[in-house]
Amino acid sequence: MKLKMSLFDGASLFIAFLTIIFLTAAIGTIIVGGLPFLAEALRSKEVLFSIRLSLVTSTLSTLLCFVVGIPCAYALARCRMPLRSLCRLVLELPLSLPYLVLGLCLLMMFSSGAGKMLRDFGIRVIFEPAGIVMAQWLVNIPFVIRLMRTALEELDGRLEFIAGTLGASRWQRFCTITLPLCRNSILMAAILTWSRAVGEFGATLMLVGVTRMKTETLPASIYLNISTGDNGMAMASAIILLALSGTALLLSTLLRRRTASRMEGALRP
Amino acid sequence: MTPLTFDNFCLTRGSMHIRNISFALEERETFAILGRTGAGKTLLLESAAGFYAPEGGKVLLYGSPVQDIPLTERRIGFVYQDHALFPHMSVEANIAYGLRVRHAPRDEQKNRTRDIASMLGIEHVLKSYPQTLSGGEKQRVALARALVLRPRLLLLDEPFSSLDPATKKKLYDEVRTIPQKFDCAVLFVTHDFREAQMLASRIGIMDHGNMLCIRRSEDLFARSNHAGLNAFLGLEDNA
Repeated sequence: MKLKMSLFDGASLFIAFLTIIFLTAAIGTIIVGGLPFLAEALRSKEVLFSIRLSLVTSTLSTLLCFVVGIPCAYALARCRMPLRSLCRLVLELPLSLPYLVLGLCLLMMFSSGAGKMLRDFGIRVIFEPAGIVMAQWLVNIPFVIRLMRTALEELDGRLEFIAGTLGASRWQRFCTITLPLCRNSILMAAILTWSRAVGEFGATLMLVGVTRMKTETLPASIYLNISTGDNGMAMASAIILLALSGTALLLSTLLRRRTASRMEGALRP
Repeated sequence: MTPLTFDNFCLTRGSMHIRNISFALEERETFAILGRTGAGKTLLLESAAGFYAPEGGKVLLYGSPVQDIPLTERRIGFVYQDHALFPHMSVEANIAYGLRVRHAPRDEQKNRTRDIASMLGIEHVLKSYPQTLSGGEKQRVALARALVLRPRLLLLDEPFSSLDPATKKKLYDEVRTIPQKFDCAVLFVTHDFREAQMLASRIGIMDHGNMLCIRRSEDLFARSNHAGLNAFLGLEDNA
């Protein structure tokens, strides 16, 4: 069978395959280099600490992102909001800022008089594990707001209106119609947010630095090991990070497929 | 008291301009709004429910501006052309939704849901989900969901447009009895002349956001001096 292909299709495929080869080589180098050290890394107290700290902080920051992000997205998508465009710009601006800058913003804010007052009340952020949660939260909150706003805007507003005519208050409409219909979007956004939080480093570095066995998350562990010339352990930690992110990506893809097939079923006449 | 009054109602949405619409529904009356696609019929119906605030004039629901009555207290039933059923709930949960959010006792929810389902012949699908229903069943579920709360005003948006003739006929019979059985007025939108004549006592004909005339259904095809109206009704003088 003769395969006919246009020059444009051929060039696109060529570029795609080159990119795949490059990415595979880059990730493969880490995997091949790190595998011999993986068992040792999984026995190391320091790496286990960094895994635990990464899992705890990313889970906490993801939860906080949704506690704050869903009401913000609802306000942007559904409420009559004064200066809506400006509010949207402010809420979603951190998306386009470098993470180092976000970290610097937090550092300056918590070093100010108000920050010192918070410290007096026992809320310690700078150089403390709580700062990791704060940094991950700030990096991810605009991302969650954007995803949730899009999900809410795509939802058929007539369903909430009908629920209102049937006697449901705003809160009842939100709990019984809006949230259940956005459930898969929320789950998908949560997985992606968690995955981004696990890998966050720039803002965290600025706010809490890297202290062994204190503020050492998985990315920080890689950084520390590379700094001390222990490339094997750095690559082993990178494999663990890759496995966590890969699992999250796989889950998100499976969810997206399930949502797509459900929607197809719902729209079939 | 008049269930619904449009008084010089004006509204603009995109390229659609509704201008100076005035009419009132009587108690237990079925009123049809007839017009081509894009005449502004659905916009008018949604305005009756208070979905849009008037830009001019008034929409009164039992004497009060509809916008002043909280959505949850308007006591209107709304059935969309595509039914707008809650896809994540069973048929039973869809019908009982209004009773549930109003905290009706569980027994009452169950009994009233069963009663209305049996009246509309949909008891056999109570455990099913909307995606698995036929067009006629979806229509009945949407009607049941609206009627179970005994609304004062029922608003129907092209309720029969996607149904086969046999199902349409059955539903016509059911809809005809609604005003007496449920003590409510019905305002419905259609582009089907026969349907409007069969179901409504009065018909308002809309075109490009204007109400051209309001007639008793038996006089629908009476010739007028309005050339556009005659053309719409197929009464052009070919001589």
